[in-house]
Amino acid sequence: MEADTSRIEEYLESIYKLQEEQHPVSTSRLAEHLKLSAPSVSEMVKKLTGRGLVFQSEKGVCLTDDGKFLAKKVIRRHRLSERLLTDILGFKWDEVHDEACRLEHAISPEMEDRIAESLGNPKTCPHGHPIPDKDGKLAKEKVKPLCDLKAREKGIIVSVFEEDPKMLKYLASLGLIPDVCVEVEEVAPFGGPLIVCVAGSRYALGREVASKIKVK
Amino acid sequence: MLSCHGALKELKGSTDFVFVLAGNPNVGKSSIFNRLTGMGVVTANYPGKTVELNMATTTFKELRIGIIDLPGSYALSAVSEDQWVARRAVLDTSPDAAIMILDATNLARNLYMTLQFIDLGIPIVAALNLIDEAEKRNILTDTEKLSELLGIPVVPTIATTGQGLDELIEKAVEVAGKKSEIRYNVSYGTDIETNLKKLEDLLSRYNFRIASRALALLLLEEDSEFIELVEKNADGRIILGEVEKISKDIEQKYGEKTPIRITRERHGLAGSIASQVQGEITPAASDKLWAYTTSPLTGIPLLISVLAVIFAFLFYGGNLLSTIFSNLWAAYMSPVIDGAFFSLFGSGHIGRTLVWGFDAGILAALAVGIPYVLTFYFLLAFLEDTGYLNSVAFLTDRLMHKFGLHGRAIIPLVAGAGCNVPAIIGTRVLTTMRERTIASTLITLIPCSARTAVILGAVSLFVGWKPAVAIYIITLALVFFVGVGLNKVMPGSSSGLVMEMFPFRAPTISNILRKTWYRFKDFMFVAFPIVVVGSLVLGALYETGYLWRLAAPLSPVVENWLGLPAVAGLTLIFAVLRKELALTLLVTLAVVIYGGGANNLLRFMTPTQLFVYALVNTIYFPCVATIAVLGRELGWRRAISIMVFTIVLAILMGGIALRIISYFHLL
Repeated sequence: MEADTSRIEEYLESIYKLQEEQHPVSTSRLAEHLKLSAPSVSEMVKKLTGRGLVFQSEKGVCLTDDGKFLAKKVIRRHRLSERLLTDILGFKWDEVHDEACRLEHAISPEMEDRIAESLGNPKTCPHGHPIPDKDGKLAKEKVKPLCDLKAREKGIIVSVFEEDPKMLKYLASLGLIPDVCVEVEEVAPFGGPLIVCVAGSRYALGREVASKIKVK
Repeated sequence: MLSCHGALKELKGSTDFVFVLAGNPNVGKSSIFNRLTGMGVVTANYPGKTVELNMATTTFKELRIGIIDLPGSYALSAVSEDQWVARRAVLDTSPDAAIMILDATNLARNLYMTLQFIDLGIPIVAALNLIDEAEKRNILTDTEKLSELLGIPVVPTIATTGQGLDELIEKAVEVAGKKSEIRYNVSYGTDIETNLKKLEDLLSRYNFRIASRALALLLLEEDSEFIELVEKNADGRIILGEVEKISKDIEQKYGEKTPIRITRERHGLAGSIASQVQGEITPAASDKLWAYTTSPLTGIPLLISVLAVIFAFLFYGGNLLSTIFSNLWAAYMSPVIDGAFFSLFGSGHIGRTLVWGFDAGILAALAVGIPYVLTFYFLLAFLEDTGYLNSVAFLTDRLMHKFGLHGRAIIPLVAGAGCNVPAIIGTRVLTTMRERTIASTLITLIPCSARTAVILGAVSLFVGWKPAVAIYIITLALVFFVGVGLNKVMPGSSSGLVMEMFPFRAPTISNILRKTWYRFKDFMFVAFPIVVVGSLVLGALYETGYLWRLAAPLSPVVENWLGLPAVAGLTLIFAVLRKELALTLLVTLAVVIYGGGANNLLRFMTPTQLFVYALVNTIYFPCVATIAVLGRELGWRRAISIMVFTIVLAILMGGIALRIISYFHLL
């Protein structure tokens, strides 16, 4: 039974992540991601459908609200575990992902709370991905350009659309990459630039740059 | 200016060790460089690049050590000029060690580039700088643990007092001596590392003159420079095919592009190391007081006052100094120089020509250089060191964008109203050649204090203050339209503002003075010879009478199109030496030609003529010092284009003004 739970969690987590790039998720893509054969994936998907965690459409699999909730819980535990491993246990960077993959299925809700608390309720994993809160909520889901935020508003970068690959790389080297939390500190008048805070540094971004960064 | 290739080679040849100083902008890197080295700093640049490299030698325990101060940058990805120059210099010198200057108050971001250096496989020592600032903010760092996690020595330093610098060099010499024994402790995620290893093994069979691990990462990061390098190899296609395959694997696994994934890994690793040695840091709340400089309500009035102070400083302070200087020169230096030349060469053509060059010429260079350039450099260094320049850029970015510039351009533009020369050198705060060309062109159009003297002395005094104001309005409108026009016409587009906002740091006076001196020295070396030679040529033409013959073809333009007396046209040519000379010479020549009463200019020129004259003098042809600096900063091709452009514009505007004024009987 326990092994079953962790397998279900693994599936939900994968579907959730894949949904971000392709919605709904095709079984073949899911099989590829989980490194499993297509028939065994199809069988598992049937099982998940029976439990009301996913539903199938012509094009593939979608998570139900229950499924989404469970997936986010797993993601929360995974990302919290990564923080625990790097920040407190001093694990080496190249070991954390695999360790966290095992831990995420073994952590009880109470332990999850304790870990979060002792880490000071972090908002992101060490890679900068956001950690869903206890109720499985991520920050606002509505996507808008960074320049639409007002002073003191926060957002999570969804994408950095920039035709100029040099600019994209430059922004990335400053830590402005998807899934990173930004806070707008000041907005210059008359459509001027913004000052944003990212990971403890403050940058002024021209409006045309900020309009190409989408946040939620 | 020295070329980097030669200068780096020379440095390497004449020293026992070569170290590079690397770090993010504004972490105290220059202070450390200044402390480590003496005054004998050599500046060099790569052809076509504006970002410069400073290098110097120092001795440590009888070892001669060459130190290269890399431009401050956030990464080594070569996506901006500073990064390109930093990376190129590291690859060209293959230094014995890199000294990474880290800001202890912002460790995670600073470690990003450290990791890139580690990937390059160069021996590294880290200086954990600004520990005093960090302590003030309750940030304590476990340096031993940091050293252990990175696998490199870490030395806490305070650049402003010099604390820890001896130990820093000692450690650098130590690691440079045992290159083969370096063992870094850092590694990225397992999947990335396994894939990297595969590529490394493949690449190690070739010699690309860069560490295999570094090259593997650069290829996965899709760095165009190194992809090109590999393409040229006979097996290039096979290697790049393998890179693509591995990149696809990573992409599939993480659901994001490989370059982004690697960047994320690096940021993540840097952040995790920082939090292990410093604990969780609450993000730096920006200095409350400092926030007033960027908040529009308080920032804009403050900005206007600061700009007004700079202007007033250059205009009144500079003018005062310039007058005093010129008077002292006329009283003490001129007689000596003139006497010497006349007694040696006689008072014929040769003697008088030499006096043009070595009396009037040197005075022209010094009378601009000392009062205006020196003053401006001091103010600029002060604004830079406090970090206020960035607040200014933030507030004015929107306006400057219309001209294809960004916010940092406002300071040189305003300084141009004092003197064009320092203003044009001040455009170094802009990053691309396009921005600097636009800004410099606009600066040459802004009436400097010398041209203001002509406007006031000719128009305001004899015609009235309203036409004088009109000249300012016309030139400002020109600046606006030329700016918008150049932005449309010139290829490329403005890069968009991305700039770090530094917390306020109290500037150190020694740092400011050093900066001011280096820049001033640079200016004198460049401008001085050109101004002297220019004066000699002009003097020779005048003394031999050739100038009149050269001026003859101009008379249709001057007399028919601009409606000015021919003699006035000639004074405009002399104004190339110093713009206010136009007026002085006009009065002198008027007296010579028309007799004593002509010092009331109205007796020999109409108000309309005076207006056109002042307008043309304001717009056309920058003075010789400005030309020298334009040539030096932008290259002679661009400098000559700007000169031709302003001449055409001046003649055009003068003629149009004449016709509008006559048609509507405005004056």
